[in-house]
Amino acid sequence: MRIPDEERALAEAARAGDQKAFAGLVRLHQRRAYLVARAIVTVHEDAEDAVQEGFVRAWQAIERFDPSQGFQAWVNRIVANAALDITRRRKVRTTEELSDALQSPFRDPAQDAELKSRLNEALAQLPERARSVIVMHDVEGFTHVEIGEMLGIPGGTARSDLHHARQKLRTLLKDLRG
Amino acid sequence: MADELKFPTDGEKPDRDSLDESLKALIRDAYAPPDGDAYWSGLEQRIMARVASESSADSSWWTVLAPWGRPALIAAAAVFAIAGVVNQQLVDSDEQMAYDSAFQSSTPDVVSTSEEIMSVERGADGATISYFLSH
Repeated sequence: MRIPDEERALAEAARAGDQKAFAGLVRLHQRRAYLVARAIVTVHEDAEDAVQEGFVRAWQAIERFDPSQGFQAWVNRIVANAALDITRRRKVRTTEELSDALQSPFRDPAQDAELKSRLNEALAQLPERARSVIVMHDVEGFTHVEIGEMLGIPGGTARSDLHHARQKLRTLLKDLRG
Repeated sequence: MADELKFPTDGEKPDRDSLDESLKALIRDAYAPPDGDAYWSGLEQRIMARVASESSADSSWWTVLAPWGRPALIAAAAVFAIAGVVNQQLVDSDEQMAYDSAFQSSTPDVVSTSEEIMSVERGADGATISYFLSH
């Protein structure tokens, strides 16, 4: 894997304790880390908490980071763990709450309201891990192996979860999509 | 933005089971990250504020204890040295006591044995022996 020179330099400086260099890594990777967290926790505020917690943990463990490896993949795993910790703490959550949570304030208001509403309900009915896998793979483009590493499951399980999640989503949205 | 965030999917088989693009677009929209540089610079600042506070918390205990490091090492060395001297003195004392006790217990035995011999020679048995020898 080719690591950009800028990222490698930042990572090496951060390992030496340079907080400004670490801020550069945060700037480069926080959006992607947010997407990972959001796929797991669903709620924007929780995703933001997971990103913050993940980067703080990454700073605490920066001496163990190998700069020859990609910082993005490393920090994504840490952020995913932080997000999973949040979901464990908030395990009990009703379908209604999830559906409300998916009403992101950042979405495009021009989309069809009914379709969006049904999609949100359908996503809320998926098992937590299946929803994470489908978002990570079909929306964010992670591979099964990458998803498996982030969620702590085998790549084959991620593939299987994805297949079942897609089937269920299609079934739930069948009447809408004709 | 979504395109620039996509990872390559090299090594994966062709995905015939994939959701159609309109559905993916809807999900992508529902999970879209906040837009605007102000949000991201704000998040970065919050992260770095926590990093800075974690760093100061990590170093604060060492900052407090660091001035005590050298005196503590000197004190520990002194304690070891004193303990060594005391231990050596105890060993010497034990050896002296063992020597003294061995010497003092053997001397009275020798004296008492010679006294017994003398008393035997001077007692009634001695007189009997002298009688037989003279006859």
